[in-house]
Amino acid sequence: MIGLVLKRLVSMVVILLVLSAAVFLLQKLSHVDPVHAYLGANASKAAIARESRILGYNRPVLDQYLHYVAGLFHGNLQTSLRTRRPVATDIAAYLPATVELTVFGLGLAVVLGALLGLASAGQWRGAGLFRAVMLSGASAPAFLLALLGILWFSGSLHWLPATGDTGVVNAPSGPTGIIVVDALVHGQLSTAWDGVVHLILPGICIALGPAVSIGRVLRGSLVSAMRSDFVRTARSKGLSERVVLLRHALRNSLTAALAMTGLQAGLMFAGVVVIETVFAWPGIGLYTSQSIPAADFPAIGGVTLVLGVGYVVINTIVDILQVLADPRIALA
Amino acid sequence: MAVAEPYTPSVVVRGLARARQARVGTRRSPLSNRIGLVAFGVLVLVAVLAPVIAPHGPIIPSGLPFTPPFHAGALLGTDEVGLDIFSRVLYGLRASLLAAGAVIASGVVVGGLIGLVAGVLGGWVDDVLMRFTDLFLALPGPVLAIAIVAALGPSFFHTLLGVAIVWWPFYARIVRGEVRALASRPHVESARLAGAGVVRRALKHLLPGAVPAVVVTASLDVGNLVVTLASLSFLGLGAPAPAPELGAMAARGLQYLLQEWWVPVMPALAVFLLALVSNLAGDGFRDLLGDR
Repeated sequence: MIGLVLKRLVSMVVILLVLSAAVFLLQKLSHVDPVHAYLGANASKAAIARESRILGYNRPVLDQYLHYVAGLFHGNLQTSLRTRRPVATDIAAYLPATVELTVFGLGLAVVLGALLGLASAGQWRGAGLFRAVMLSGASAPAFLLALLGILWFSGSLHWLPATGDTGVVNAPSGPTGIIVVDALVHGQLSTAWDGVVHLILPGICIALGPAVSIGRVLRGSLVSAMRSDFVRTARSKGLSERVVLLRHALRNSLTAALAMTGLQAGLMFAGVVVIETVFAWPGIGLYTSQSIPAADFPAIGGVTLVLGVGYVVINTIVDILQVLADPRIALA
Repeated sequence: MAVAEPYTPSVVVRGLARARQARVGTRRSPLSNRIGLVAFGVLVLVAVLAPVIAPHGPIIPSGLPFTPPFHAGALLGTDEVGLDIFSRVLYGLRASLLAAGAVIASGVVVGGLIGLVAGVLGGWVDDVLMRFTDLFLALPGPVLAIAIVAALGPSFFHTLLGVAIVWWPFYARIVRGEVRALASRPHVESARLAGAGVVRRALKHLLPGAVPAVVVTASLDVGNLVVTLASLSFLGLGAPAPAPELGAMAARGLQYLLQEWWVPVMPALAVFLLALVSNLAGDGFRDLLGDR
């Protein structure tokens, strides 16, 4: 077990190094010269050459990469070409809102996915309806859900807000930066509730796609588990169908759904960029989409690194959880 | 130092395989899947014939701005400059299908080649190629695609390139798996004993065996790709402004959502329709080819 964890951690480090190399390479391939963009269109050749020397752009590429990685270890993600602030500072300001949204979304996806999987795997009449819902959910782009959600629940019914993470003007901004948590820390219940209400629409939009994928995989393994010998034994013991499904079949179907949850986190991170843009959610997704038209690659690369680290860490945890859920995997 | 251990999503693959087995075999292809196949055929035809069917050009204003759907001859209404949304959606479908097809084709060729070489040669070549493949699978593909397109500069071609770069590993894994499974079968063994060279065995005896699995995977992939590509386009990573791309149309129409809802919603619905039909057709296609 400990050996396995160590192995996973080593592979995580290798993957992160590759990720940093990929982002560095993309920056080199970028169609925008960062020095020129930073100094402005009218910068003189001499000024560009001087700034290049200061920033180290005239050194060999490998040298630059090592310098870049060393910078990463010190939390240096270079300077944004658009906001003129260090990218790390920008991301630190935008990240809490994204953490809030993705944690909520991922939790919602797991719960919804489990419900969809269980409901559609059963032999009851409504199962077909759930399968139809899952098929539609798998085909709907997140931005369509967002558009329809805003149109109906915000525009026509005025039930839910559709922009930002809070409507309270002087909401507390410390210590975590996550509105709901901060409001609770400061004892402002109404502000916390306001934050929760703001989470609902974007949270559902971001969770539905992953929920459907998780549900499909769970349904697949549940259906086959329900046909296996140990379920026949459990049934013949006279256990109720519910106990057989929840106690016997579900436990043996968890690993696949767990792995899918980890993979879906990657999709969700891309979805975050779209959804934060539509809902003006002040997170790193919105930061990314604002950086795209400005061709601000240091910012986009920084976000890619942060999301990549998140993804790799989540999947490492999932890998380890899988072994806990099904010890047979460690032997394989 | 140890080489990177991959996050092999084999558990997921097995789960999906079980899902497929569970559905097929007990009964024939459900009606919805067969309808999906027909509908997909119709959509492809519509996409190919878009210039003939579309009542207006995609970038030439055809009427007053913000005509609601079913008014003044505009089936899906007009947008903020009076472009006919129905015509633009038709051209957008064409671009979406073309893009999905191009990414799948490149994924099949690049991934297939890598998987074939790895599976046929085995040994250290297999190790190196599959570690490389797994590294790609361990990174968040869609996020990387955004970064790639943003670095190269937004354009239709760069979007294809960006998504293709993160898409091929799946095909490499599938082809390699099929080839490895086939390599030990008697007909390949006898071909080897009969003196058939590596290339001949790979192309004549192993590659054909991997085709059905690849075709099924590719047909199930279209829906995913349509949505992924539309999302990139939505973020402004596709072709520049007047080009009829569904994602970009929805994004630009966002500001009119609460008053002129059809401007952003119609193109987004078109993406949904195309993805839904593709998914149904993919299931139907898999049923046609028999359980894989």
